[in-house]
Amino acid sequence: MSEHTGTDDATPQSDGATVADWTEEATTETTTAAISELAGEELVLGYPNTDEPVLDGESMTATPGAVTALVGPNGSGKSTLLKGLANQLELTDGSVLLDGRDVQSLGTKEMAKKLGLLSQESTSPGSISVEELVFHGRYPHRGFFETVTDEDERAVDRAIDLAGVDHLRDRQVSSLSGGQKQLVWIAMVLAQETDVLLLDEPTTFLDLHHQLEVMEIIETLRDESDITVVVVLHDVEQAARLADRMVALKDGEIQARGTPEEVLTESMLADVFEIDAAVDRTERGPRVEPIRPRHDDDGAPDECRDHQPRMEADE
Amino acid sequence: MSNERRGVGTDTVPGGTRLGWLFDPKLVGLAAVSLLIVVVGGIVQVSHGPFRMSYAEVWRSLTDQTVLFDIEVWKAFLLGHELPEMSRQNLVVWYMRLPRVVVGIFVGANLAVSGAIFQAVTRNELASPFILGVSSGAGAAILLTFVFLGGLTMYLPLIAAAGGALAFLTVYMIAWKNGTSPVRLVLAGVIVGTIFTSLQRGMFFFLQDIAVAKSARAWTVGSLIGTDWEEIRTVLPWSVLAVVLALAGSRQLNVLLLGKQTAKSLGMNVERVRFGLSSVGVLAASASIAVAGIVSFVGLIVPHMVRNIVGSDYKKLVVGCLFAGPALVVSADVGARLFFGMIGSRGQVPVGIVTGLVGGPYFLYLMRKQEALGNI
Repeated sequence: MSEHTGTDDATPQSDGATVADWTEEATTETTTAAISELAGEELVLGYPNTDEPVLDGESMTATPGAVTALVGPNGSGKSTLLKGLANQLELTDGSVLLDGRDVQSLGTKEMAKKLGLLSQESTSPGSISVEELVFHGRYPHRGFFETVTDEDERAVDRAIDLAGVDHLRDRQVSSLSGGQKQLVWIAMVLAQETDVLLLDEPTTFLDLHHQLEVMEIIETLRDESDITVVVVLHDVEQAARLADRMVALKDGEIQARGTPEEVLTESMLADVFEIDAAVDRTERGPRVEPIRPRHDDDGAPDECRDHQPRMEADE
Repeated sequence: MSNERRGVGTDTVPGGTRLGWLFDPKLVGLAAVSLLIVVVGGIVQVSHGPFRMSYAEVWRSLTDQTVLFDIEVWKAFLLGHELPEMSRQNLVVWYMRLPRVVVGIFVGANLAVSGAIFQAVTRNELASPFILGVSSGAGAAILLTFVFLGGLTMYLPLIAAAGGALAFLTVYMIAWKNGTSPVRLVLAGVIVGTIFTSLQRGMFFFLQDIAVAKSARAWTVGSLIGTDWEEIRTVLPWSVLAVVLALAGSRQLNVLLLGKQTAKSLGMNVERVRFGLSSVGVLAASASIAVAGIVSFVGLIVPHMVRNIVGSDYKKLVVGCLFAGPALVVSADVGARLFFGMIGSRGQVPVGIVTGLVGGPYFLYLMRKQEALGNI
């Protein structure tokens, strides 16, 4: 948290205090509420304009209090699965259980108090300040005519601190860079103060600095609180570094699940991502070195690699 | 700087911060200028007519304490009681000419608020009661009443609302396929609008009475000519209701602007909120159509202009529309009167012609300027 000084004028000390604040709040919360478990059972998910379901009878459980990463190639159904878990897509079949309760039986606001979702594409209106946008995160906690309470203000302050966007507070969202916008949207979801947080490709299209900022926020959530996080990530390496559990999808089917070490293997990359790659174990988690795309007529992964002179050179 | 602002926010009482947004200098400026336009336009409008009055005379009459603070007079105006004795000048100003201005104020406010609501619900800057076919639907319903159900004119706003709602639902259902694009929505609106306009025109052939036909004609282009306190009594309660609901719903409108997905993940029942707010939009548009006919383009231009000034926060936007809408309609009505007086025409041109002549080009300009057509 103290490393990022590039765009952030907050001092390390104040950032340190931030984390402490959050931790304190998180621990007090967990004494009252149990860690939430989110489970999708036998999910059949599709879109109204397609006949074939994208996912056909898949189940997955987000480990309570941990970070679960969904990975897979484009069109593998990872975002669809996330939307299904968030109750944003109508289930063709199956059920989503939040702490054992079917989410269909929860009211929309009740659900939004427990489960937050950061969509892939967030659009903001022409003129809205960062603070105003983050306040929208309190929507599920407010009644139709209710005004802002102290509790709302505290939650917004905490979320803004945790997302590290305090210095942007009064800026117009439309004037921010893509990376800054993403942090602001994350702050809005954090202001919802949910037990479960679903993030759909939060790092895609961001520069490296902001990718790391986002990862840092998720790490903080994992380490300092008991929020259950499910995150769709494009970058498998990032996923392996960040997640406690990984789920790999291809063509709407879950191909592998387990710890990053179990899931992120050369054979998984060959099967699911159709690439030849070398996986090194490092102290910062597995490192993936993509080598070349695999084609249908390629043989087993090991055979191909023998024919790759570049491999040796690179190693 | 941020610390300073936060300091202010936490020091003041909740009630103070709650209405703090009202004192945004841009909003206050907009309201002041609009108010000035309405007052000046109103005085000019009232001074014209067969019984010519000077602006000073009009002002004296408008500020006449014997009228302003006479309960009997207001009972006559607002409840339709017998009008008490008053001077000839006051009678001309207050009873014969002022209603036209007041109806213009209500029409402008209603149409602007209605347009603002539709623009948020569809997240489309090009949406307005006119473009979405609401006006044509309400118009067809009103002509139907004129022609076949003469006894029901009391309920014109409700009948107009039913027609407008029917047209809007049709447009919504045609355009809605897993969300909608602005272009789809506008196209569906134009086509449904055309159908209802044809129905309107068709009903003209069933009109036997020339006088009814004439008033129906003025009515289809949107006219404030010949309005009196009767129209104000018709439009007032519905306008108050629609405006209160629009203000109450402004936070929902703001959340809708974040997009369906975000709104839904924040726990909003998006379809229900959209439906409810659209009903408010239909009600506001219909109330104005019931008394003044179809005044085109006000619902499109005003929210857009106000948004350019105060930003897209709907709390400010709705309040801004309440001021800017009347300013546009009242000044367009004055323009219609003065311009055609200048070229020596004895007849009067309905205000809807002027708003159409001004609004059409503005719409085209919007289309040219905006790269991503219409998305708020």
